[in-house]
Amino acid sequence: MSLELLIDILIATVPLMLIFATLFAFTTWLERKALARIQNRIGPNKVGIPCTRIGLFGLGQPAADGIKMIFKENIVPRGADRLFHLLAPILALIPSMLVLCFLPLDFPWLNEDSVKAFLLDGAVIFFFAITGLNTLAVFMAGWASRNKYSLLGGMRAVAQMVSYEIPLVLSAVIVVMMVGSLNAGEIAGVQTGGNWFVFSPWGFAAFVIFFIAALAETNRSPFDLPEAESEIIAGYFTEYSGFKFALFFLAEYIAMFAISGLAVTLFLGGGDGPGLAVAPWLSAVWFLAKIFGFIAVMIWLRGTLPRLRVDQLMGFAWKFMLPISILNIFVAGFAWHAEQLGNRYITVITWVISLAVLYGAACGLNQLNRGKVRPREYKYAE
Amino acid sequence: MSILGGGIFKGMAVTLRNFVGSYINKKERLPTNDYSWRADGALPQSIGDYPKEKGEQLSDTTTVTEYSRNFPMLLHDGGEPMDTVRCVACQICERECPPQCIYIEKDYDENGKYIKRPAVFDIDVSVCMSCQICVEVCPFDAIVMNSQFELSTPNRFGGLLVRRDDLLKSNDYYHKIHPEEAAARDGKMATEKAAKEAKKKAAAEKAKAAAEKKAAEAAKEEAK
Repeated sequence: MSLELLIDILIATVPLMLIFATLFAFTTWLERKALARIQNRIGPNKVGIPCTRIGLFGLGQPAADGIKMIFKENIVPRGADRLFHLLAPILALIPSMLVLCFLPLDFPWLNEDSVKAFLLDGAVIFFFAITGLNTLAVFMAGWASRNKYSLLGGMRAVAQMVSYEIPLVLSAVIVVMMVGSLNAGEIAGVQTGGNWFVFSPWGFAAFVIFFIAALAETNRSPFDLPEAESEIIAGYFTEYSGFKFALFFLAEYIAMFAISGLAVTLFLGGGDGPGLAVAPWLSAVWFLAKIFGFIAVMIWLRGTLPRLRVDQLMGFAWKFMLPISILNIFVAGFAWHAEQLGNRYITVITWVISLAVLYGAACGLNQLNRGKVRPREYKYAE
Repeated sequence: MSILGGGIFKGMAVTLRNFVGSYINKKERLPTNDYSWRADGALPQSIGDYPKEKGEQLSDTTTVTEYSRNFPMLLHDGGEPMDTVRCVACQICERECPPQCIYIEKDYDENGKYIKRPAVFDIDVSVCMSCQICVEVCPFDAIVMNSQFELSTPNRFGGLLVRRDDLLKSNDYYHKIHPEEAAARDGKMATEKAAKEAKKKAAAEKAKAAAEKKAAEAAKEEAK
């Protein structure tokens, strides 16, 4: 390997890791602050500049948390599989860090000759293949801890992540069909000038499905069953402490950024936004801003929605999300052929028809899945 | 028919209102930050950089409202605590305590006679759930809730077990932290005491009358 190539690789990867790790620290603070405000509290507001009484709205909190995490005791339960207990958080972090390079983030310091993994033919496939490893890490953690809560959490995680991966991929298929490429850079390029996929009925439906499935994939509320605090303590990382726990935490948030980044690439036009003609470096800023929009909605949803039951979760994946995403593929194919005709009226009619079909199907599925509501039977009370 | 998923947006509107409202209408949306019940209406300065000195306490009437309750305490009526303690070691609270955090032993004098006070009265802070059931079941108004909240300790084995002598607090202290409740309790105790005395008096009079009657009857008998 030549030295130039090594430097190129470092230029492509190190900023990504630094930027997203910093964003992670800021996001934990933001999440705690936002959740606190939603619950009529103030949130972290004490930790600021050390040795002074300047609070800075608690912006020092992530640093304090990090220092605490590093110096905490590393406890491995007796009877646990020590090797896999150690490997699990590392294996969780690697795929979520790795997929960051498939996001079409065009930083100003990258030039024509730089290593750009997102220009790979099949970047989207790579993304899904590598995020799939996360499931393994989670289950490994649950299994190696030798704790029933951990194992339950791991089992739940596997069931949930495998189920929701199907609608996730099927909704990404729409965009791949429309663009005719798996190249992330090309997918983002097609959508420049406000021509985003989210602004079409099939694109919007796919976007909503993708977002819901992404919430489930990253174990975010309301799909946080694998780490349901009130039920199974902390799920698969019950037995983790100190730096290993921090790694899990980091992996989870980086996975959140990565999947939001993919959603931005597929549906929200990547780095597309106003002012690009004047300053091309705005592309990366717009991209990160859109990711942050996603994170904000995720936090907002976490502050709003209660957790689903396990049967509701699986039922929602298999009985609602899967049929509607398959139907959406047919709708998109129909729309693609109609658009090939190039007639304005036909396009409008296609839009109306596909909107009606998708909304009707969603309502119909909702009606079909609605369980019969019986009056409640009281066994003990009178 | 309502829009599919409309409930989610309704819920999100509620949380958004809370979020934005907490920046605009602080008094209403951030009740934990509302210190208008204090005389100067502001957060005590000492809280900002607490603890300033070793052993500094914040659990006083200036930092908590009089409705704050945290952990039980035993009441005595002033003077030497163990002479005037209200607790008679009846162990009702020990049996009623849901998490079983109270341990009581009765006190006996050198002849083995039960004197109505506890020899041991321990409450485990780490087990107590501040439910106040002990206060409700106590027939002697001997155990009430304290508002002290600084109960953390570096010693996790002995330090979390609060002993009898640390639980004992005077009725004056109770009046200081919960004035309204203490006055009501004192009033209730006074009426109960009065009723008891009236009953005792009535019983004594009845017994007296009965004795007199009996004596009269005996005199009658003798006269025959």
